[in-house]
Amino acid sequence: MTGPSRIVSLDLCTDQLLVELVDRARIAAVTHLAADPTVSAIPEKARGLAITRGAAEDVLGYDPDLILAGPFGVAASVDLLRRLGRRVVIVPLPQDLGGMRTAVRTVAAAAGVEQQGEAMIADFDRRLASLAASSAQPLPTAVIYQIGGSVSGPGSLADAALAAAGYRNMAGDYRLTRGGQVPLELLLADPPDLIVLSTGADEYRTALADNLRHPALHLLRQRRASIELPWRHWLCGTPHIVEAVERLAEARADIGARGR
Amino acid sequence: MTSEAGVKPGKRALPLLSVLAGLAVVAFLLSLATGPSGFGFSLRGEAGAIIFKEIRLPRAILGALVGGALGLSGAALQGYLRNPLAEPSLVGVSGGAALGAVLAIHLGLAAAFAFALPLGGLAGAAVAMLAVVALAGVHGGPVTLILAGLAVSAIATALISLALNLSQNPFAAVEMVLWMMGSLTDRSLTQVWLAAPLILLGMALLLGVGRALDALTLGEDAAASLGIDLARTRLAVVGGTALSVGAATAVTGIIGFVGLLVPHLLRPFAGHRPGLLLPASMLGGATMLLLADVALRLIQPWVELRIGVLTALIGAPFFVWLVLKTRAELAP
Repeated sequence: MTGPSRIVSLDLCTDQLLVELVDRARIAAVTHLAADPTVSAIPEKARGLAITRGAAEDVLGYDPDLILAGPFGVAASVDLLRRLGRRVVIVPLPQDLGGMRTAVRTVAAAAGVEQQGEAMIADFDRRLASLAASSAQPLPTAVIYQIGGSVSGPGSLADAALAAAGYRNMAGDYRLTRGGQVPLELLLADPPDLIVLSTGADEYRTALADNLRHPALHLLRQRRASIELPWRHWLCGTPHIVEAVERLAEARADIGARGR
Repeated sequence: MTSEAGVKPGKRALPLLSVLAGLAVVAFLLSLATGPSGFGFSLRGEAGAIIFKEIRLPRAILGALVGGALGLSGAALQGYLRNPLAEPSLVGVSGGAALGAVLAIHLGLAAAFAFALPLGGLAGAAVAMLAVVALAGVHGGPVTLILAGLAVSAIATALISLALNLSQNPFAAVEMVLWMMGSLTDRSLTQVWLAAPLILLGMALLLGVGRALDALTLGEDAAASLGIDLARTRLAVVGGTALSVGAATAVTGIIGFVGLLVPHLLRPFAGHRPGLLLPASMLGGATMLLLADVALRLIQPWVELRIGVLTALIGAPFFVWLVLKTRAELAP
């Protein structure tokens, strides 16, 4: 077999692509997040793989011939590993579905499994194309409301998933804070047709998730269509984002039933 | 601090407290009327009713309760310790409370039993308060107290970051800011119900020590001869501060300097009587925090500030001035 045979991944998103594209025997280690069902779309498949915490010394212990990393958090380790002569491929975080396809191809090419990569993308495109196009005009509106009151804006994968499912992302209509949060009061005063609650992050024990437990949000959900879209579906740019698109597309029926 | 001779207590108390209560009511109504969806009380329809009851009302109630707790406990600490620099956040009580609340959340206690959150804050505040009093001694000077408070705050801050790091919470850094800088944003009535009973109980305890604090201005021996039970007074001050600041901090995070600034601003009007300063600082603290929160929402479109940042911006320069003044007084 050609291509690298001791691959280490330092990022949740490259973990997931690696596990689905490459034979298990060639994976030396992934992050602990890959098997975490809160954030990973493929926790079962990742279970049992060796785990790296990402420090250069730890990574070198696996004697890797390919290291996959994301753009965040590991810059110092990546610099060091490169200076020590290791092959590091940094996979950017995709901002749209095109970027997601690029990420798949980048990982596939680095690992020498281009065919599997193309097959993965073809499967994704087939599932995406089979979704019924939205006939509603104007498009129904939606907001992806997250932990801490953050909403997903343009240039995010979640935004791309909304567009692919036939929604207009209403995030831009609000006067957002600099941190990209919408005050709950504005969401109530001017709600979208569909409230997408990005859950999963709230499973962490954190005071930041109080907004998702707010009684006003529950009252709003009684009056508007809403779905819970777990974090794991859209956090990473992998073809699993099609599951988020499918769930969003299904929710259009609920909006229609409620009237707009 | 000496009591001002020749001023009849009742003469000054009623007008002062009436004016302050009036200001607090105005600030409360202003807070209710302010929000990102528009100023005023005439919000349209069902959504408007929800906005009022579920979003603005809890925010205004918490602003009043938390500001009142901070102002009152600041006045009580300054009066009891006879120390102008005493204040919940500076002496580490707020830090201890935040640590207790963080532990309650991250150990899963708050999820299993909602009251664990304010109780955690209360426990943390009580431990911090006892630690500071033990370190500085009841008779320690201003500098000793501030040093002890600094030490306790540093330990609390370190343990909060440790707890957040260990929790594997990807939002640890953001949550740290929440606890350090305080926030009233998007609080709910649920949180009001959790915190209010303990805050009110603590306030009642603190308001009860007014006569003792007045007597203490004459010295401990004189106070004891006037029939003041010093041990009970200490218990009430420590317990009242831990209850009110502990429960308040558990739902808002650390909000600094309100307890320092408000008693100092009101002291001249209260005739330098610590007993009268207690209710005055409670009302003044509520007014200050409510107005700061109104200002925060009005300037929010241009800059994003947290309420703790705003109170620190107002209070910290005042603290610097107090330090200079204290230094001048201590100088030979």
